[in-house]
Amino acid sequence: MSVGKAVSWILLAACGPLIAWLPFPLIMKSLLAQATFSALFALGVGLLIKQNGMISFGHAAFFGLPGYLLGVLLPYQLVSAELLICAALLLSGGLAFVLGLVFVRAQGIAFGMLTLAIGQAVYEAATRIRWLSGGNDGLTLKLPAKIFGLSLKVLQQPSGMLAVSWLVMVATLAIVSLLASSRFGRLTEAIRDNEERARFLGYRTLWPRAAVFGLSAVVTGVGGVMFALYSGFISPDTVHWTASGSALIMAILGGSGTSWGPIAGALVYFFLKESLDSFTTHWLSIIGVALIVITVAFPTGLAGLVPFARQLIANRREARLARA
Amino acid sequence: MAIQLLNGLVYGALLFTVASGLALMFGLRRIVNFAHGSLYMLGAYVGYSVSHLFGFWIGLFAAGICLALAGILLDGAVFRPLQHRGPLTTLLVTFGLALITEDLVLSVWGKDTLSLPVPPAVGGDWWLLDTTFPVYRLLIIAFGAVASFSLLVWLKGSRAGLFVRAASYDPVTSAVQGVNTDRLGAVVVAVSAGLAGMSGVVAAPLLSLAPNMASDILVDSFIVVVVGGLGSVAGAFVAALLLGQINVLGVVFMPELTSLLPFLLMIAVLLLKPAGLAGDRV
Repeated sequence: MSVGKAVSWILLAACGPLIAWLPFPLIMKSLLAQATFSALFALGVGLLIKQNGMISFGHAAFFGLPGYLLGVLLPYQLVSAELLICAALLLSGGLAFVLGLVFVRAQGIAFGMLTLAIGQAVYEAATRIRWLSGGNDGLTLKLPAKIFGLSLKVLQQPSGMLAVSWLVMVATLAIVSLLASSRFGRLTEAIRDNEERARFLGYRTLWPRAAVFGLSAVVTGVGGVMFALYSGFISPDTVHWTASGSALIMAILGGSGTSWGPIAGALVYFFLKESLDSFTTHWLSIIGVALIVITVAFPTGLAGLVPFARQLIANRREARLARA
Repeated sequence: MAIQLLNGLVYGALLFTVASGLALMFGLRRIVNFAHGSLYMLGAYVGYSVSHLFGFWIGLFAAGICLALAGILLDGAVFRPLQHRGPLTTLLVTFGLALITEDLVLSVWGKDTLSLPVPPAVGGDWWLLDTTFPVYRLLIIAFGAVASFSLLVWLKGSRAGLFVRAASYDPVTSAVQGVNTDRLGAVVVAVSAGLAGMSGVVAAPLLSLAPNMASDILVDSFIVVVVGGLGSVAGAFVAALLLGQINVLGVVFMPELTSLLPFLLMIAVLLLKPAGLAGDRV
């Protein structure tokens, strides 16, 4: 990694704690913290699109599942909360991996339907199995006073959570980007582009795709855990299919061709929604039109604007040089 | 028990009339219409408003016509221009359309649950197997039967049906042979949308009208289409009847797991027969 890249990663990581430390209004910090949860959610969805070329309509299942596992298992105090958080993420990722072994066999569209169905199944389970999940009321998380050495009071207040979740988000993004440029990342991209050819070259094509599905579930789950820690509460809203839909829109809006696109999409989506909600009730139409326009006219999303802008600047410079 | 089987048949009939359209569209254009549940919902709301003015039957008819016209528009404005852009593009665009439709329904009819009364002519109960059964539910079964029979006759008997089957099997070769796939597409989408709209009206007295009705029926129809085999109307028929029974029997015997059963069925079918029950057949 070049020095310039390392510096830009550090600057990016510093943004969150800086905003948390500066005297911005609390409501804005709270919003930004919630945007980072959605950003992690969208990062997972985007990872699946980028590496596998697969669209998930049910990722909310993996956003809410770790939180529900925490809500159900924390009262028993079997292991420490930190271990339980890791276990919940691994469990939900493992479940996704196993499901992925079945799901990725389904051709293109059928995959989307399967994910929609698992999302719906988890939602129904969350609302119907009352004795376990608390039904529509949800579950309150019985969290200890300190988690990973941080006081719960700090985590449940906007500035503290913003700093922590931003760092978690940047760290997760770094891991996802490293993974995408690794051998594994290139292999999955090859399978995405032509599965038959990859198999012909001697690669197994089933488990790498299932692994991407599992990983994307873990990334999404990290967002869900941050959300659950912040609110101390988990409810069926988090696993409803509209949550999956929003995350998908964020990923498409930001552009799924890059790892960071979905995060940018989530931040833009969140602030657009907040600022528009005050003077129009037609948010659904606005986001629907935006989705259509971006899908048809700008398939690379917001992330596609960066190379476009770079090209524009380069052209200008060339023109200036030519004049001189 | 027999009554439960009949109830399963009622839901199966509704599912088939919605899902058969999805299967037809997939067969012809290799697209998934995420807005199909929205067509069903729009039909129900249009039928609701019209039947308040002119009665149920005209409402049903009007919803079918309106939605068929909307289908022609949908095909011309969305499916045809995007047919070379890959299936994911259409999926996302129709997802956007579904969001817009939900907003439209919320703005015009509000977010409260509405109910459409059962038309008085078919309002009573019949004695059936030493218990009573609402006549209206029998009517829904009849509606499903008429719809599937007409589709069968149309697909197997008419020239257009022959073309639809040929184009589903291989769109490019059929086009080379002189089948006008664009006009065929408009017809198929119009028929599918009209059927979806009419089943929305038919379902309205039984289930109620609410802006979430689109996603509810969409998920079940997707399962039907995947289980039956993408693009297969016959497969959708079998799968819809199967899912109808599973839903009702699930509610009776294991209420907590009902929602998981269709999903388990879908996984089982995809494991054993990845192409669905019908495979390649139309």
